[in-house]
Formats: sequence, structure tokens, C-alpha cells
Amino acid sequence: MNLLTSLIPSLHRSSVVRRGHRDEKLGATVKPAYTVKETDEAFGLTVHLPGVAKAGLEITAEEGTLRIVGRRAWSRPEGWTALYRESSDATYLLELDHDNAVDLDKIRAELTDGVLRVSLPKAEAIKPRKIEIA
Amino acid sequence: MRLVRYTYPQTRIAPASLFARSPWAGLETEIDRFFNSALTDFTGPNHTEPRFAVDLYEDDANAYVRAELPGVKRDAINVEVVDGYLNLAATREDGTAEQPATTRFSRSVALPEDVTPDRVKATYADGVLTVTLPKKEAAKPRKVTVQVS
Repeated sequence: MNLLTSLIPSLHRSSVVRRGHRDEKLGATVKPAYTVKETDEAFGLTVHLPGVAKAGLEITAEEGTLRIVGRRAWSRPEGWTALYRESSDATYLLELDHDNAVDLDKIRAELTDGVLRVSLPKAEAIKPRKIEIA
Repeated sequence: MRLVRYTYPQTRIAPASLFARSPWAGLETEIDRFFNSALTDFTGPNHTEPRFAVDLYEDDANAYVRAELPGVKRDAINVEVVDGYLNLAATREDGTAEQPATTRFSRSVALPEDVTPDRVKATYADGVLTVTLPKKEAAKPRKVTVQVS
């Protein structure tokens, strides 16, 4: 890290850090627009990732967190000068805590035209169930 | 001089200094994120006029406009050049089968003066629409070498 944190161990960030502040190897990141819909069976996640193709997309699920990284496929050609920019070149990063409410084996995702749709079936433990009264 | 407005990505890049990370950096980042999420919640999906990001580039031969329009079908995109402005309009079908919802986008971009409206091309890939607008022939820079006697 830097000289100071290496000299004084107590200033070194421990491995359990706040979400989103890990030392990202991704560099600068941007949070994409997303919506989550819920049904009895599953969660439906829709993420807008314009400029991301299947090759640049990475979805990982671990420790109760779903992590979506999208790298943009396009880079500015040499001769082009930017006159006005509203988008950024940063990688998309979305981290959602689901606290083990999702059955990881049954996650399905598809990416078309820059829109990622992920279906996250609920784990059996949290599905609504009727309780019989004796 | 040209001013290029740029949307900066979230992560702060700390200036090189003796303390590479100031004690306030964590707090500032949290406050930035708090405000960003608060403001974007106001302009959520139900906002009357959804906005999309547009970039404007040029090189010697053309001007280029890139618009971020994820999830739109090609035939739902309308591109027109009128009076030195490029008008982009698109509709997107959101929602589910039970509750279809349509989002309409529309935006007008002022074009540089030396652009001709003919031979404009547009492509749509990965949710990004790229419009290529050729410049007038006379406007392309020609190098003229002058001998000084």
C-alpha cells in the first residue's frame, strides 16, 4: 500500500472492509442502473450495461453477495477527439447482498443489447410456506 | 479551446502526498455515495423523461455521436438530422407480460457546423447507438505549405 500503512500496522485496512471499498483491481468503477422484482419463486434482476458484450461480463456469487462486473467492449479509436462526453469508460460494478436467500445453482443470466437479465431462484428455506395449525 | 464535460467515475484517485490516503477519504467517499444514491433515487425509472448519456466525437472526416440506449430494438430507434441538430428518439418495452410498460427516450444533439446531413450512418451494438456524420469536403483540413521567399 503506502509507506505509512506499512510502517504502522494498525492503519492497514483489514480484509474485512466495507463493501465496495476493497482495493479494486478494476480501477475506477461506476454503478449501473438496475431493478429487482420479486415473485414467490425467484428474484428477477435487470441491469443496464450499455457497451458491455458477453466477453466483458463477469458474474460471481459468493458469501451471500452477488457481484456483477462489466467491462466495456469499445475503446475510442485513435483519430477521434472527444467534444462532449456524458458516459464514462469506467467498468460497471454492482454488488448485491442477498444473504443466502438465493439458490446459487439455479441462477440464469442472459445479456442482450446491453441489458442483463438475471433470474435468481429463491432458496427453499425462504420460500413462503403454509403452516398447519394442529 | 474546447471544454469537454466528463462524468467522473466513482472512485477517488488520491493525490500523491505524504499520506496517500487522507483520514477523511473514507468519510468523503461515503458522503459522495450517499448523495449520488439519494439523487438518483429521485430520478428513478418513474421519472417523466428518462435520460440517456450521449457522447460527441469528431475526427478529420466525420463527427460521431454515441448514445447509450440499452435494451432497445433497432426498429424502435429513430435518427434524424434536421437543421444542424441530430434528433434521437427510441422506445423500449419494459415490464413483464402482465404489465407492459413503454419507456420513451428523445434527445436533440447540436452538431458541429461542418457536418452534412447526407450519407449519415447509424449502427447499434451492445446497447450503444453510434451515428456517423460525414463532414463537408471543404471543411476537411488540407495542409498547405507556404514557401517564404
